Amino acid sequence: MKNPLRKRLPRELKSELGKYLVILILLIASIGFVSGFLVADGSMIKAYNESFEKYNVEDGNFRTQKALNRAQTKNITGYGVALDEMFYVEQKLESGSTLRIFKIRENMNRACLMDGALPEKPGEIAIDRMYADNNKLKVGDTIKSSRHSWKITGLVALSDYSTMFASNNDTMFDAILFGVAVVSPEEFDTFSKGDLFYCYSWKYRASPADDPEAKEMSEDFLEFLRGEVKLVDYIPRYLNQAIIFTGDDMGGDRSMMIVLLYIIIVILAFVFGVTISNTIVAEAAVIGTLRASGYTRKELVRHYMTMPLIITLIGALIGNILGYTWLKNVCAGMYYGSYSLPTYTTIWSGEAFVLTTIVPIIIMMIVNWLVLSRKLRLSPLQFIRRDLTVSKKKKAMRLSPAIPFFTRFRLRVFRQNLSTYFVLALGIFFGNILLMFGMGLPALLDHFQEEIENTMLCKYQYILQMPLEMEDEDHKLQSYLSGLMFMRGVETENPDAEKISVSTLKTTGSPLKETFTEDIMVYGIEEDSRYLNLDVSADQVYISSAYSEKYDIFPGDTITLREAYEDKEYSFTVSGIFHYESALNLFMSREKLNEMLDYDKDFFCGYMSDTAITDINPDYIGQVIDLEALTKVSRQLDVSMGSMMYLVDAFAILIFIVLIYLLSRISIERNAQSISMAKILGYKSGEITRIYLMPTAIVVLCSMGLTIPPVFYIIKILMKIVMEAGMTGWMEIYISGKTMMKVFTLGAVSYFVVSLLEIRKIRKVPMDEALKNVE
Amino acid sequence: MFLSIENIKKAYGEGDSRVEVLKGISLTVEQGEICVLLGPSGSGKSTLLNIIGGIDSADSGSIVIRGERMDEMNEKRLTDYRRRHLGYIFQMYNLIPNLTVRENIEVGAYLSDSPLNVEELMHTLGIYDHRDKLPNQLSGGQQQRTSIGRAIVKNPDILLCDEPTGALDYNTSKDILKLIETVNQKYGSTVVMVTHNAAIRDMADRVVRLRDGMIRENTVNQVKTAAEDLEW
Repeated sequence: MKNPLRKRLPRELKSELGKYLVILILLIASIGFVSGFLVADGSMIKAYNESFEKYNVEDGNFRTQKALNRAQTKNITGYGVALDEMFYVEQKLESGSTLRIFKIRENMNRACLMDGALPEKPGEIAIDRMYADNNKLKVGDTIKSSRHSWKITGLVALSDYSTMFASNNDTMFDAILFGVAVVSPEEFDTFSKGDLFYCYSWKYRASPADDPEAKEMSEDFLEFLRGEVKLVDYIPRYLNQAIIFTGDDMGGDRSMMIVLLYIIIVILAFVFGVTISNTIVAEAAVIGTLRASGYTRKELVRHYMTMPLIITLIGALIGNILGYTWLKNVCAGMYYGSYSLPTYTTIWSGEAFVLTTIVPIIIMMIVNWLVLSRKLRLSPLQFIRRDLTVSKKKKAMRLSPAIPFFTRFRLRVFRQNLSTYFVLALGIFFGNILLMFGMGLPALLDHFQEEIENTMLCKYQYILQMPLEMEDEDHKLQSYLSGLMFMRGVETENPDAEKISVSTLKTTGSPLKETFTEDIMVYGIEEDSRYLNLDVSADQVYISSAYSEKYDIFPGDTITLREAYEDKEYSFTVSGIFHYESALNLFMSREKLNEMLDYDKDFFCGYMSDTAITDINPDYIGQVIDLEALTKVSRQLDVSMGSMMYLVDAFAILIFIVLIYLLSRISIERNAQSISMAKILGYKSGEITRIYLMPTAIVVLCSMGLTIPPVFYIIKILMKIVMEAGMTGWMEIYISGKTMMKVFTLGAVSYFVVSLLEIRKIRKVPMDEALKNVE
Repeated sequence: MFLSIENIKKAYGEGDSRVEVLKGISLTVEQGEICVLLGPSGSGKSTLLNIIGGIDSADSGSIVIRGERMDEMNEKRLTDYRRRHLGYIFQMYNLIPNLTVRENIEVGAYLSDSPLNVEELMHTLGIYDHRDKLPNQLSGGQQQRTSIGRAIVKNPDILLCDEPTGALDYNTSKDILKLIETVNQKYGSTVVMVTHNAAIRDMADRVVRLRDGMIRENTVNQVKTAAEDLEW
């Protein structure tokens, strides 16, 4: 015979539909979102990984000053690589952004058509899908440069531009001001030859197995190429940020999303726990009778656990269905907001199902089992007598009669609902984390942008790029001449220009992750620099405040940095911290840096200047670090995460409302008889509301206010962990008082909405409630 | 001997507030007997019933039921003992509010390997017509009939009744007593009933009167009065 107690479940569900519905909605929303994220994440990563073969992505590309002749092409292909022309022009559009335009690719780096059609006729163009989104362009629109006008026929994703890095030297990509596009061969022929960039992609006949092998092969190939052509640029795939950045970055948020889900599940499990505890109090005599009749504790624990588990299971199933259908697209949209990825096929992920279905059920089971086992450990007789206090000597809290009656009454209600209020405060704490994260990020980005503007080392930094021939040891004469031309080409008359040496070294792991490395830009500056007021004489070394904050490095500490592709390591003892939040930098004297890197004493490879330097050969400028370049990070984050922040805000408010609604409802249910009796005695609704809602209101408002400072520190710690564990760069965690006020106000408004529902509920408590079950 | 109670003592509280509720109770009950425990409030009758039912424990003494000593049982075995041998009826019916009459009786049936026929039992109890109603749709008498049904459907060896008519009017009380008598006769259950209604003693095989935690009277009725004929 099946346990007849199970027949209670549908009736319980029906009678408490409102309560179970809100829990279910929250479960569906959180499980659905995380499931959608995991599915989108897995599917996207797969699509990205498969794109290399599907669209025949290059093993690298090089640029020459002019097109290769037939003999050169023959020699290069004879080396054991396939070559493909990847010529392009760059057109400044009327909107101010730059479009890099290629001929439709037939062989390597083929485009994935996302919408519309590929261009066939002159005057047609297919532009990058993400660039189109960011610039609000769609199929059928027309875009114009000073000399050309194109009709957009399609939106594409170019397999070698999953991230919009205009230059491989850029610190951050920019999908707003930079995009890529393809046109028909006829249209491409209309561009002036003088505007062409001669870029070639290559692919090895035998692909390298891993990065070290790729490095070795690319070095050999570079050596060979130097003997064949005059190179302007050379980027093997494993170093090409436009290709590899996406793969390195994807999957990073996965563990954070899973932890987020489990925190919500634990909170909901506690909500169930409090609800069940309340039911146990209400059904004490029945439980006592059942236990006296021979029902085991295990059977009753199982019975009371069934509903939370069923709700979780339903939530997980619906959540997963939504995750695999609608929410997957929402989450994929977030990836599409940051990266230009090809179309993807949804991949069934067994792991995602386990993480979003089995694990939440297990968490729910464990939390409820713990609560129920504790609650039901009392003897049958205690249940029959409704003596449910675990402590035998529980005494009434002593309250002085001098305290006004209503205050004493409210204090008693507060004490009675202590466990409920604890869960409520916990939920508010968690909701605040989400809300502050959601509302704080835009403010944080603004602050970061302001900091960059206020603390710029100078208005322009020019990082020079030596021509590749200068390093060609097999052709010494050509190398020498090339060097001479370079030296002449980079001389400037600009009085603001100040020579600097710059080198990029790598960190040797972060405090949290030994394998994580990132670039530290080492500046060699003049000892009497007008831009940096630092005493760099006598081996003094300074680091930027961003570097110090991220890695907890302080004056006196020793840091070790290494060369990117060599085993060489350098150690520095930090003399001081220089307030500079924009980047992770190390500053020392130019002379010292040159000495360390085995350069001539007078060597320099860049300029700092407060005015634009116009008299150096633009071919020798590798990178210009100005305000626009430095603010790319915050602009891109704003674009790619802006919509997600609204989602986080909405989710946080949902958690607020659901928790406050469920838990304040419990305290009313627990006191239904007393409320009813108060009504019989002649208390007015307003008075009853003051007694039973005021403690909840105080707890809610105090929790909101008091949890803000710890939440601020937790966010700070969490973001530091995220940055230390896998995010390059640093952003000062800044949350303004205005944001805190906003968080508090939003929480208070959420509570106000819920309290209106609670007042309605108090009004609906019938007077005969007091006469029920009176023994 | 079906039920043997030997020198049971029980006290609550400590120090000055210590109250001896049972001061050495010994009695025996034969199988199929109706044993009525009489006494004023605080005499210890409910405590004794709870100890027999295994939901309270004695400080000393022993209870042997069908050869098994209860004081040697751990909690698991006690639960099993209640499950196999006991049926409980309380003054307040303690029915599950969101289960129907039939389902509340099934709650008892679930505990037994060979429960009585629920349909037949509802006819016997006179609640068949109310079988699909929830407890709040029933009168007090109907609720108590349902709780009797829940207690006896598993065909227990002993039916423990704690003031089963305490909350009922005269006519309904008589109906319930008749029912308990019928159950005793039809199913052969041993009944131990706590009451402060002295008139009920006449329907018992054995009457045990307690006062201040001690047995003041332990008599066997030579002539029983049918529940139908009880007057008070």
